Amino acid sequence: MSPGSSEDSSVRVRIRGRELSLAMTEDQTLRMRAVVRMILHEPFTRRVWSELGFFLLSSALAGAGLFIVAWTMGAGLILAITFFGFAIFALSLRCARGIGGMQRRLVRNMLGEAVEDPQAFVARPGFLGWLQSCLRDRVAWRAVAYLALKVPWSILGLFVAFSLWWDAFALLARPIFDHGGGAAPVWGLASNFFPSLSFSGGGLKGELAGLVLGAVFFFAAPWVMRGFVNVDRLLIRNLLGPDPTAMRVRSLEQARTQTIDASAATLRRIERDLHDGTQAQLVALAMRLGMAKEKLEEDSEHVDLDRVRELVDAAHRGAKEAITELRDIARGIHPPALDIGLEGALATLAARSAVPTELSVDLSTRPTPAIEAIAYFCVAELLANVAQHAMASRASVSCAQQGSWLRLVVRDDGSGGAQLTTVGSSSSGLAGLTDRVHAVDGRLHLVSPPGGPTVVTVDLPLTS
Amino acid sequence: MTDGSLRIAIAEDSAILRDGLVQLLVDRGFTVTGAVGDPAALRSSVAQNPPDVAVIDIRMPPTFTDEGLRLALELRARHEGLGILLFSQYIETRYAADLLADDAAGIGYLLKDRVADVSDFVEALERVAVGGTALDPEVVTQLLGATRRTDSLSVLTPREREVLSLMAEGRSNAAIAHALVVSEGAVEKHVANIFAKLNLPVSDKDHRRVLAVLRFLES
Repeated sequence: MSPGSSEDSSVRVRIRGRELSLAMTEDQTLRMRAVVRMILHEPFTRRVWSELGFFLLSSALAGAGLFIVAWTMGAGLILAITFFGFAIFALSLRCARGIGGMQRRLVRNMLGEAVEDPQAFVARPGFLGWLQSCLRDRVAWRAVAYLALKVPWSILGLFVAFSLWWDAFALLARPIFDHGGGAAPVWGLASNFFPSLSFSGGGLKGELAGLVLGAVFFFAAPWVMRGFVNVDRLLIRNLLGPDPTAMRVRSLEQARTQTIDASAATLRRIERDLHDGTQAQLVALAMRLGMAKEKLEEDSEHVDLDRVRELVDAAHRGAKEAITELRDIARGIHPPALDIGLEGALATLAARSAVPTELSVDLSTRPTPAIEAIAYFCVAELLANVAQHAMASRASVSCAQQGSWLRLVVRDDGSGGAQLTTVGSSSSGLAGLTDRVHAVDGRLHLVSPPGGPTVVTVDLPLTS
Repeated sequence: MTDGSLRIAIAEDSAILRDGLVQLLVDRGFTVTGAVGDPAALRSSVAQNPPDVAVIDIRMPPTFTDEGLRLALELRARHEGLGILLFSQYIETRYAADLLADDAAGIGYLLKDRVADVSDFVEALERVAVGGTALDPEVVTQLLGATRRTDSLSVLTPREREVLSLMAEGRSNAAIAHALVVSEGAVEKHVANIFAKLNLPVSDKDHRRVLAVLRFLES
């Protein structure tokens, strides 16, 4: 049997002298040829053999593993009335973890499946700690679950796959060995599923049916095998790979640390602002008023009213400055403009910007307050950078919704050359922004070739 | 102390406050030998033009942590008899303990707010200049609170504890009598009782009393 060569727009498949010719379009022909070639080639590819090898090896390993783990666990349970039982149970779990690791290496090396290692075993101090850590080791328990599922699956898979191959060879080989018309040793799936096909009937018709069935089995066997292996891969990925819950916890922990650091830095900045600005202002103010008070308490005839007026004047000025500073600091903590929504707040920023700024906002959903605040501070910081460093004559801010994301683009026609991570104070703002944006799984992208223009794109999730 | 007015050097990084202090001190007839914004500048100012008292802000550049305190310890080691008045937005008990560790003579530690009461501030400054002590009531409260032997203070009557606090601030008997509106004789009696109850030797100098009090508190 061989794939027929195609002429014009037809495929001809020759089976034992008979020719099947199918009329098709050019496109269908090509596709058909590819499928046929794949099906016919499949039983002879390396991949099939490595899958078969993997399935055999890993099944043997799983069988042995389940045998050991089940026995030791059973023994551990029975002996659990003594302390010794728990130790055996714990060792059994450690063993399950080890077998899980071997399975992982097997699938990685033989099939190239990229399955990551789960979190490493960390024992708490002391023997009791070790025992507790073993019994609570989610990775080990998942490995036990894998073995318990894998072994029955392997038995089924091996039975089906070998039945197919066996039947295929038996049916295909019958005409050679069985010219006399006797029954060939057929067993396995075919005789179970198709009892009516006894294959013992002589004649060309019966023989031909047997051959067709054998061929079908022969070419189907690799695909059935692959199905079993793929389910096994799925099991390995989900039960022997890293625990998705644990991974999520780890990434959340990282994000939380970042957030805590960022908020600590913010608090420190606010404290510094208050300490250096408002507090000093108020102390100076109180000092001037104290001096004025003492002057007034002097002998009423010698009161230096000019001096007192001067002091009160200075105190008054200081009070007004302190109010302004306090307002700026409060705005830095939570911009009141955000209460009316991001669009209004951005409009205020654009209007206040030193560089003429064009604003376009296109939002159908209102982001959560945290995202609004981050978006606001991003634009505020970026516009401040434009005013300070870019030597720009125009800037534009666009804020648009893209699916469940908020995209901010701040553009200026300045001199460019901005960098995210350079030494010096000019860039520290951008680095700080990146941290803020990352804390909510957002992204910040900067394009700033020397000579400009500079475009900063910030993508934020609408809900944090 | 020179014959003329008291000579004061100021290290304070906030320009507003620095200018205000200079104004206040000049107004009160002090001589300001230098008003600077960072530790290095004060170091050279003190070396070139030695003052009687250096008024030092604790939080100064470059790290804004305890530069002022370290500078104070350094200046005291280098210039004998130099009075130090540390000036801070907050009171840190640790700083006070560091500062008073070996000798409380000529040392002051005040909250910045105290400049609002000009006379008290000037008085504290003068006390430090002549080798006395000026501790902020806040410092005293914290030191009293921080000590693990507060229960031993329970032998004192509330009035005696009040007197002890004022003593710890570095005030003389007369000042204490004035503050509590009692006679000086009454204060002397209280002080004698305190020393007796706390087993402290009586000394003739004001700051020695503070030393004794603090040594007791720190033990």
